[in-house]
Amino acid sequence: MNQKVFAPWDDPNQKPLIQFQNVTKKFGTFTAIDDLSLDIYEREFFALLGPSGCGKTTMMRMLAGFETPTSGTIRLSGQDLGQTAPNKRAVNMMFQSYALFPHLSVWENIAFGLKRESTDKDAIAARVEEMLRLTRLGKFAKRKPHQISGGQRQRVALARSLAKSPKLLLLDEPLGALDKKLREETQFELMDIQEKTGTTFVIVTHDQEEAMTVASRVAVMDEGRLVQVATPADIYEAPNSVYVADFIGDVNIIEGNATPNGDRVRIDWAEGQPEIWGTAQKPVASGERISFAIRPEKVTISKEKPEDRRNLLEGEVIDIAYLGNISTFHVKVGNGQIIKAQSANTRRLANRDITWEDRVWLTFTETAGVLLEG
Amino acid sequence: MRRFSWFNATSLTLGFAFLYLPMVILVIYSFNASKLVTVWAGFSTKWYGELLQNEDFLDAAWVTIRVAFFSSVLATVLGTMAATVLVRAGRFMGRGLFSGMIYAPLVMPEVITGLSLLLLFIGIGLDRGVFTIVLAHTTFAMCYVSVVVSSRLVSFDKSLEEAALDLGCTPFQAFRLVTLPIIAPAVISGWLLAFTLSLDDLVIASFTTGPSATTLPIKIFSAVRLGVSPEINALSTIMISVVTVGVITASILSKRSAVAQQRDEQAATQATG
Ligand SMILES: Nc1ncnc2c1ncn2[C@@H]1O[C@H](COP(=O)(O)OP(=O)(O)OP(=O)(O)O)[C@@H](O)[C@H]1O
Ligand SMILES: [Mg+2]
Repeated sequence: MNQKVFAPWDDPNQKPLIQFQNVTKKFGTFTAIDDLSLDIYEREFFALLGPSGCGKTTMMRMLAGFETPTSGTIRLSGQDLGQTAPNKRAVNMMFQSYALFPHLSVWENIAFGLKRESTDKDAIAARVEEMLRLTRLGKFAKRKPHQISGGQRQRVALARSLAKSPKLLLLDEPLGALDKKLREETQFELMDIQEKTGTTFVIVTHDQEEAMTVASRVAVMDEGRLVQVATPADIYEAPNSVYVADFIGDVNIIEGNATPNGDRVRIDWAEGQPEIWGTAQKPVASGERISFAIRPEKVTISKEKPEDRRNLLEGEVIDIAYLGNISTFHVKVGNGQIIKAQSANTRRLANRDITWEDRVWLTFTETAGVLLEG
Repeated sequence: MRRFSWFNATSLTLGFAFLYLPMVILVIYSFNASKLVTVWAGFSTKWYGELLQNEDFLDAAWVTIRVAFFSSVLATVLGTMAATVLVRAGRFMGRGLFSGMIYAPLVMPEVITGLSLLLLFIGIGLDRGVFTIVLAHTTFAMCYVSVVVSSRLVSFDKSLEEAALDLGCTPFQAFRLVTLPIIAPAVISGWLLAFTLSLDDLVIASFTTGPSATTLPIKIFSAVRLGVSPEINALSTIMISVVTVGVITASILSKRSAVAQQRDEQAATQATG
């Protein structure tokens, strides 16, 4: 069987569903979205990630039709959305504030959109029941929004936006108020729905694990700009900047001067400390100031000095964070920098031999980290 | 005993006596058996009975109710529309001027409002009667409705309307299906306010009425000039009751909507928290 990988963004023949072309959005003199271009393809699960206020909701609102770009165009299936009214777009949005209708019951909230386009009572009822089942709200169908919990409200908002099975569904932090278990279930539910219906999802989330789980691609934003758009694995393994590396997951950043040597790069990063060897993804100039980023789980910690290794640092354990399945050791190396190392707690008490104030050795391979500019 | 002192009790009694003694006397004398207004001759409801026989008063009551009904409905529609536009339209050139112009009639002396309306009606050659009073009352009551409704709309979460649009409503459907039901208590209390304002208006009605239409306040005023009769007392008592019920209902409704609003807001903050 030759299963094709889903990667329409690599295929020049694919037509994007959504195209942002040099879109800028200003509120007065404040630039919320800054000359942003982006293609999103059909059947994608596209995640927007970024700190609060970076313009995620603004992008969604432009897609839904509540804001018009100050300049640039947004296309949906090749058509300029321009002034198309929100109710004429095959786009549904789940609002960050839910925006449930307080005077209608849960059932009526979900049926609201369906009633606008169809008068077939049975079909509407069937669809609402299906949504209630999906979001496990059956018991609350008759209640008003103020009579249910925050997480239940969130599910009503989700059900309401899903009910019309739109071509494009915008989810603004859809799962923030759910507990971990329900959130994970709903994530898989969403992926399932996406598989079945072929809907394209654009999802805003603060939870990077969630973005990693559900997304086909992730866009990391900062102050109205896209910093990197790539698959979750690429974002994690090959961030294109210190900003992205730092934003996604835990990372050690070591700054130093580079000296290329074949396909390897030597980094002198502190007086009296052994140099670090990394692998260059791009050509590096000799003497260039660079940052070496390495994830804690790629750093091995041990009490005995390993033999014949490059990238060997000695330090003292100053803190241990025990997280159940893994432990993170904060190790202070010679020049005072803290380097985090993670190890899996595969055996009970496995790493109990390393404790506070122990002298330890940290090692990592030459390909474990990435070299970033600046 | 901090809450109760002789000083507090006395000032409270004096204050309320000042406010309500005249009305209490009027109500008491409406049950006076004597024809002489100032001489108590025992309890009787006969003046109420006689009132029902008095064609003039009944006609005037009918005119008043019709005027109050039509003008309050018109004022509610127009006032709600004005409030919606002013609260929703965002910032546009001259917005301050517009809202100022809507609220100005609130503080305009009634004599001037009445006089200018009279001049207008004469100017366009409109026959004065019920219709012109309705127009006049609509004009000034609509400001009150617009104040009441816009104070509710200011705190109305705009994303609810956006959600309705997003789910396929036209802007008008969004207003009818989402906004209106939610602000309904404010609209109804605006309507009740307009109704009671129209019921007891004398000045503007006398300016804009013609020989064919006499409202109750006009009728009472002209009757009193010939001397106060117990019948007038009875009539006034009935009007006091109607207005009281109207005002209390309006305030209960707006209080209830305030409570509901608070509840919704709490729900919203819980959602994001
Ligand atoms: N109507 C508006 N008027 C003025 N500024 C606005 C308006 N809407 C958004 N902004 C500003 O634009 C920026 C982006 O806002 P946006 O709501 O898109 O942020 P966000 O990325 O969704 O943040 P969060 O994660 O907190 O939801 C913010 O700085 C915000 O203050
Ligand atoms: Mg947001």
